[in-house]
Amino acid sequence: MIFPDRVNGYLQASFETERRPFCFLVDQENRLLDSWGDASAHHFENLDIGDAMDEFAPYLVGLLDGSSVRLPFVTTSSGTVEVHIIPDGDNYYVIVMDAGEEHSSHRDRQQVANEVRLLHASQKKLIDKQRSLISELVETKTELDHQRLEAERTNASKSQFIATMSHEFRTPLTSIINYAELALEDGTGVEVIRKSAEAIARAGRHLNQLVDTVLDEAQLETGQIKLTERAFDLRELFDDIAAIMAPLAADKGLSFGIFVAGDVPETIFADDVCLRQILINLLGNGIKFTETGRVRLDISWEHDTLQATVTDTGPGIPAEDQERIFHAFERAGDLDRRSRPGTGLGLTISRKLARLMGGDIQLSSQYGNGCSVTVFVRATVPERDREPALPEPAEEFRAPRPTTILVCDDDEDLLALAEYYLQRAGYGLLIARDGEEAVQKALAYVPDLVLMDINVPRLTGSEAAAKLRAKGFEAPILALTASDVRKLDSDDFSGSLRKPIQMPRLLAQIQTYI
Amino acid sequence: MTQVSSKVCILGDFAVGKTSTVERFVNNQFSDKYLTTIGVKVDTKELSLADGLILKLVLWDVAGADRFGELELNYLRGASGHLLVADGTRPETIESARRLREQAVDRYGDLPFVFLVNKADLKDAWEADDAEITALRDEMDDVFVTSAKTGENVAEAIERLGERIAAREFSL
Repeated sequence: MIFPDRVNGYLQASFETERRPFCFLVDQENRLLDSWGDASAHHFENLDIGDAMDEFAPYLVGLLDGSSVRLPFVTTSSGTVEVHIIPDGDNYYVIVMDAGEEHSSHRDRQQVANEVRLLHASQKKLIDKQRSLISELVETKTELDHQRLEAERTNASKSQFIATMSHEFRTPLTSIINYAELALEDGTGVEVIRKSAEAIARAGRHLNQLVDTVLDEAQLETGQIKLTERAFDLRELFDDIAAIMAPLAADKGLSFGIFVAGDVPETIFADDVCLRQILINLLGNGIKFTETGRVRLDISWEHDTLQATVTDTGPGIPAEDQERIFHAFERAGDLDRRSRPGTGLGLTISRKLARLMGGDIQLSSQYGNGCSVTVFVRATVPERDREPALPEPAEEFRAPRPTTILVCDDDEDLLALAEYYLQRAGYGLLIARDGEEAVQKALAYVPDLVLMDINVPRLTGSEAAAKLRAKGFEAPILALTASDVRKLDSDDFSGSLRKPIQMPRLLAQIQTYI
Repeated sequence: MTQVSSKVCILGDFAVGKTSTVERFVNNQFSDKYLTTIGVKVDTKELSLADGLILKLVLWDVAGADRFGELELNYLRGASGHLLVADGTRPETIESARRLREQAVDRYGDLPFVFLVNKADLKDAWEADDAEITALRDEMDDVFVTSAKTGENVAEAIERLGERIAAREFSL
């Protein structure tokens, strides 16, 4: 570009005024060879030929490598300059020009830009933190809502439980109070008093059962129940359960059956008490909630696991209630179910017991179409076939000769127990459930001994014994009573035994009379 | 006694404390006011090393990536080592420093370096977690948690770099 001399002169003067260029020549060792221009503008005024320029221009260190270099902004203690390095053979021209003004303006712009970037970064951090806090708050609120709902549900369940228990306890208590007052009224006959006492006893047993249920749940909840495992005969267990449940089903006109698969072992090693309780709970529920049709129990065995399925043709359980009913005090939501007696603890207890036994309970139901509850429990088959559920009578208590004993009692449990012991001891047995029947059988079959409960229907034990003696019956009659034996007529009774009866003592006493 | 000069470039994202670190090392001073560096700021400081070697470090405080996100790599020419600086309150600057080192290695080869995670004095705002520092230490030989404000580990870090450079260039 060629300008007129006048313009060239103007441009050069302007450039020199604004940038105050200073040029110096150095060798490869950065030693000064020559210089031109305004040295004082860049603090180079005291330079001498041969000076090491590292001191005055440290930025040259490392840059004298044969290449041209332009450094727009180099700030030192002397100010900010623009530096050009121009190789010339083995030497280098270095041009230094003032860049302070441009540097300032450039820095102001960059400062603003950097501060804005820092501000944005800081804002982003705050926003992220705020979002994180909001997420935490939402999460905490959701958790709190969940806990509140859970607490409300638990509270409602407990209120329902208290209402239920209140009703459950009040019913038998009402019976007890009313029958007791009836018995205490002047002029009440013996028969009414006896019936009142029976009703009071029934209500008491029911109350006892309720308390046991609640305590069972409490003990399971606190882990206080431990398994007591032993070998036991499964068929006997199912017979017992059938004896308990079949009459309840029959009362409601339901068909009832227990079906045991062929490969189920005779004897298993497990906690029979827990298993019995689970099955009675499940069958009891099935019978309670089924109005027509059937309730059945199917038993199978696979890989050391006993599987018992209770199936009913009841109303079924809505899907939304199927897990909830396993919680303590919860029952399925429909009013019909709520109106039934019960604590709502049966399934909870059963599942906890099943889990205690290394198993679990599964429920399958289609609402309106019955229900099927399957319990799995772990068990083993013992090497020995079986251990007796009750001990065999000792040898010295066995019947010395063929002997028939008539037992008169209206308590089925006591009859079953007596039957077990007396038959195993070798005695023949006659059973009577009231005084009249005892008299008829004693006169008809003439047993070697009569065990007579005093408190039996139709004829009391004392009346029956007197009648037998009047008819010439001579065999020993032993009274079984919880009352004062001194009130018994010693002409009619040969001896007596106080209830509760210990079977070994009964067997020993029988031997003294035969 | 031998005196030699070596150029060291201080690299890192903007506002991580490069200028403050040099100011603390060279003049033992600190200012809370943030002032952007444009181009390069050159300072010198002598280190006395083994065998009577005086190493004059010419410290090139190179501007952080500008508003266009570019570093003027020409400034790195002729350097003997790099001082990489990140800000512990901005963990993303650790990655920036890593990237700058990769660019420098691509252009000028593998040189001695030390890595500073600065602003250790800002405990409340510190976000570089221990796992991240441990990962850096697994990856690199010389990682220092520093504070230009208090001077914590600043001299130790730069002296370590001086030793590395001397070992490489002057066989110390």
